[in-house]
Amino acid sequence: MTVQRDVVVKQLAEIQAQADEEGLIPAYNVLVNMLPVTFWNTFTKRMMDAVPAEKREKLEAELVNCALECGYNTGYGIITSDEFKSVVEPMITEGAKDVLRGAYAVFTAWGWAKSGIVQIKEGERMVVRAPDYYEADIASGYKSGFMIRGVSSAFFDLAYGKPYPDGLKTFVCVQTAGIEVGDPFGEFVVTR
Amino acid sequence: MALKLEFTFDDKTYRRYMNGFVTVMHCHHYMSLLSKLAIDFDDIGGARILCESVEDSIRPMIDDYCAKNSIASFEDKLDVGRQYYSAMGMGVMKISGNPGQGEVTLTRSHVDQGWMKKWGQHTVPVNHWTRGYIAAMFAAAAGKPPRSYEIAETASMVMGQPTSVFTVKSR
Repeated sequence: MTVQRDVVVKQLAEIQAQADEEGLIPAYNVLVNMLPVTFWNTFTKRMMDAVPAEKREKLEAELVNCALECGYNTGYGIITSDEFKSVVEPMITEGAKDVLRGAYAVFTAWGWAKSGIVQIKEGERMVVRAPDYYEADIASGYKSGFMIRGVSSAFFDLAYGKPYPDGLKTFVCVQTAGIEVGDPFGEFVVTR
Repeated sequence: MALKLEFTFDDKTYRRYMNGFVTVMHCHHYMSLLSKLAIDFDDIGGARILCESVEDSIRPMIDDYCAKNSIASFEDKLDVGRQYYSAMGMGVMKISGNPGQGEVTLTRSHVDQGWMKKWGQHTVPVNHWTRGYIAAMFAAAAGKPPRSYEIAETASMVMGQPTSVFTVKSR
C-alpha cells in the first residue's frame, strides 16, 4: 500500500479546525487561520497590478518566499503531528516519497489545491499537477500560483534537503502551466 | 446571539467552505510574511492594499450572514463581525462605539502573536489586516460604502503592550 490521497484528504477534512476560547486555532505547532480565498487573491492581484515593471520580479519572488517559509515550517509541523501519524503513517511504505504524498494530501485538505505528485525522481525532481487551486481564481492572465510554488519546493526541501531546520531553499519550483492562463491544470516542477 | 457556522468540504473540487464562502487554512508564518511584504512594499501602497483587500473580502461575509439571519441593528451586526473574527482564528475583540466612531481592543491576536512567535517584538504596529477587518465590520454595521472609516492602531501587542487598540472614525 502507498499513501492514497483521496482517503487521506477525506479523513483530514473531517477534522474541523475550530477556534478555541481565545479565538485562535493552534494546530501543527503553528497558529492557523481560516480566511476567505478572496482575501489572499485580492491582495496578490492588487499588489501585482500596483508594482512597477522593474520591481515585479522582486515582488513575485517575495510572494513565493512567503509560501516557502510557511510550507517549510508548517510542513514540518504537519509531518510530525499526531494527525499525520494516525492518518497517513499507516499507509507509508515508500519512505520519503510517501511522506511527500501524504503532505500533498494535507495540502489538499487545507483547501490550497486539489493536487498530487505525477512524477518524482527522488532527491532530484518532482512534478505536481493541480486541476483546481485557489490561486487560479485570480484570473490574472499570467501564471500566479506563487503559493503552490513556494510550498512545493518547501515540501521537497523537507523530504530531501538537510534535516529541518537547515534544508530550506535546497530546491526551487517553477510553474509550467496554469488554469489562469488557459491550461487545463496547473503544473509545478521542482528541481535542485 | 451565537454565530451559526456551517463548514463544508466539496468532494469534487476539494475546496472548503465556511457559511458558503470558499475559505482556506493558512498559518501564522504566511500571515506574518505577507504582512511584512505589504509593509516592505509600502512605496506602492502595500499596507493600504492589504487593508482594502481585507475590507473588500470580509464585508460580503458579514452582509450575507446578517441578511440571511435578519440581523438589522448596528450593535448586532458588529457582534456578527466580532464572532466571525474569532471563528476565523484571528483572536478576540472587544468593541464599543456608534456609527460615527468607536474603539476596538484585541486581547488575543493571530497577527500580533504570530509575528512575535516568528520574530519577536517590533517597533511599530503591524496589524494592518485587522485595520481592514474593522473597517469592513463598521461599514457593514452602519450600511455605509467601503472606505467609510479610518482605522488607526494606537496600541500594539507587537510593541510590548498587553492589548492592541484601534480607534475608529467615520470619514
